[in-house]
Amino acid sequence: MGNESFYQEFEVFSRRTKTSPFQHQFSLLAPNEDIAIVMAQENFMRREPVADIWVVKRDNIRGLNQEERQMVERLDNKDYRLTKGYGYLRKKWRQYEQGMFDEKEILSWAGGQKK
Amino acid sequence: MTADVLLEKDLQAQFEERIARGDKIEADDWMPEEYRLALIKLISMHGISEIMGALPEKEWVPKAPTLYRKLGIMAKVQDEMGHGQLLLRVAEDLIKPLGKNREDLMQDLFAGRLKFHNVFHMATKSWGDAGLIGWLVDGAAIITQTNMLNASYAPYARALQRICAEEVFHAQHGEAIILALAEGTPEQKEMVQDALNRWWEALLFFFGPPSSDTTGSTKQDITIKYKIRINTNEELRQGFLSKYVPRIKSIGLTIPDPTLRFDEETEKWIYQQPNWENFKKIQRNEGPKSQERLKLRRTSYDDNAWVREALSARIG
Amino acid sequence: MTQKYENPVVELLFQLADDDYLFSYRGSEWLGLAPHIEEDVAFSSITQDTMGHATVYYRLLEGLGLGVADTLAHMRPATERKNSILVERPNGEGVYMETPRYDWAYAVARSYIYTTAKKIKIDSLKSSSDQSLAEAAVKISMELYYHLLHWKTWFVQLFNSTEDARNRMTKALEKVIADCGDLFSYGDAATEITNASLIESEQVLLNRWTEYVKPVFETIKVAVPTFGKPERNGRNGEHTKELQDAINTMSEVYRTDLTAAW
Ligand SMILES: [Fe+2]
Ligand SMILES: [Fe+2]
Repeated sequence: MGNESFYQEFEVFSRRTKTSPFQHQFSLLAPNEDIAIVMAQENFMRREPVADIWVVKRDNIRGLNQEERQMVERLDNKDYRLTKGYGYLRKKWRQYEQGMFDEKEILSWAGGQKK
Repeated sequence: MTADVLLEKDLQAQFEERIARGDKIEADDWMPEEYRLALIKLISMHGISEIMGALPEKEWVPKAPTLYRKLGIMAKVQDEMGHGQLLLRVAEDLIKPLGKNREDLMQDLFAGRLKFHNVFHMATKSWGDAGLIGWLVDGAAIITQTNMLNASYAPYARALQRICAEEVFHAQHGEAIILALAEGTPEQKEMVQDALNRWWEALLFFFGPPSSDTTGSTKQDITIKYKIRINTNEELRQGFLSKYVPRIKSIGLTIPDPTLRFDEETEKWIYQQPNWENFKKIQRNEGPKSQERLKLRRTSYDDNAWVREALSARIG
Repeated sequence: MTQKYENPVVELLFQLADDDYLFSYRGSEWLGLAPHIEEDVAFSSITQDTMGHATVYYRLLEGLGLGVADTLAHMRPATERKNSILVERPNGEGVYMETPRYDWAYAVARSYIYTTAKKIKIDSLKSSSDQSLAEAAVKISMELYYHLLHWKTWFVQLFNSTEDARNRMTKALEKVIADCGDLFSYGDAATEITNASLIESEQVLLNRWTEYVKPVFETIKVAVPTFGKPERNGRNGEHTKELQDAINTMSEVYRTDLTAAW
């Protein structure tokens, strides 16, 4: 049947701003990627800013099946790689009359250093 | 333990346990046949209804009175086509294992195997109807659709999140048209009242029969059992009346049912039952505009078949 | 024949406004009937953008004291309209409210030709001597890139697909080109419009358009068409019956009460 190949599945991803990550939006049908890309924004991002768009043929995506989805499970014992595991430092630094370089403080340096 | 060593019975039990604890089901997960079929029926009908629902409203797109209203109703009807797109994608993923695609859904529609929602078989006679559809038909649709926002089937829930966000605009678009008319000239007010009179029965039909005793069929039980929706048809209709009756009255409109009242004791709306025979006719595609709308959809689909053929051939 | 306005800015604004308005009106009739659901949604966005462009021009006219934008869009009879014949043509056979038989090949060919011509005009308008026209052109130009890409994609793909599609596209393109005689024309106001440096001359833009579309016509292996002398010139208010029909429909509700708020 000729129509079968008109309906190719594409997954649509977009980035809201130039620094934001690509986010999955939805899927659409199109006969090829050039048509898919001119459909993408108007179908799923009519009311939001878009900085960039990807369309990906669904066949090219390797996902997890129901059973494999078990692979994302983790024990909640990994404080050592979280700032949560180092909270005691705040008290320690206080002993040395120093403030804590926590996430909020460190990321605030994005404003630059004194010139 | 892998899925293929589990017996059907165990799979069913495991599935029911997932539903019970509020887990979400994905397209390629194991699911009971009953669940898949219920989803296909519900979502393909929902999707195709959006596509068919664009037809009554689009009649008023070129006629909308001002540039702003022309743009507004265009954006609204465009959204409805977009809802069709979202929902059909969800349905298409469900029928894919059965070897079917969008083409089959269209053919099912044309053959009468796939029904479109009863409210879209009605005529739209005036600009007042266009406003009333946006306000009350979309209002009713918001009640049914928000009821399924937490559906156990995740792809449907995700589509509904997008849809419901847009429905907020639809509701306000409808309210804006209606309020302008209700606050306007005597002729404009009459236009809204007339629209309400003609659409009231359709609004009661919207949520479907209260139980299968009324019309012989309703698919509400299975969708509730599998946590696709929360409330029954009648509960949804009661919710609609509670939300909208006071608003309708507040702008000076008269609901064409003198018996309509809220019974404090049972905390239920008492209303004149619509003629369910008319509902059954619509179910058989014998409503006022059923055949014309199907013909329009089919003609445009067939006339454009060459486009789909042309571009699929290009792949090879 | 229509009146000629004293002010060439008014004359040009009406041409631009009516072009985009009628083009988007025809686009709005397609809503719900496109060959593909995803395309229906995309097409409607382009139609809305274009009606938005028309609104920009009608508002400028409103600002110049020509009347309310909605009245200008809805109430002027065909004899006062300045749009090109191309945009007023119906989408196909049949009546909108019944079961129209719209022609997608025609939609694609018309949209591609119209949008490329619009791009050439808008680029020229960016350096218009009229400040507000120049500003409007800069804004409108922002949305044109997508419109062009969208229609070019359909135009090229359909031409380069099956024989059936190519035949349909060829026929549709011929039909479109036959109506392009007044597309770049400024009608009887041409001298005043170009003398005031509102936009470059018809011939300059036409040549530029030919250069602009040449690569696309090369990919479809068709010679770049040339436009004949117009049978009717829409810029002078000469129109087909279909335009008056369209005006009657678009104003059906609005004209029931011009003073009412809608
Ligand atoms: Fe919808
Ligand atoms: Fe809606």
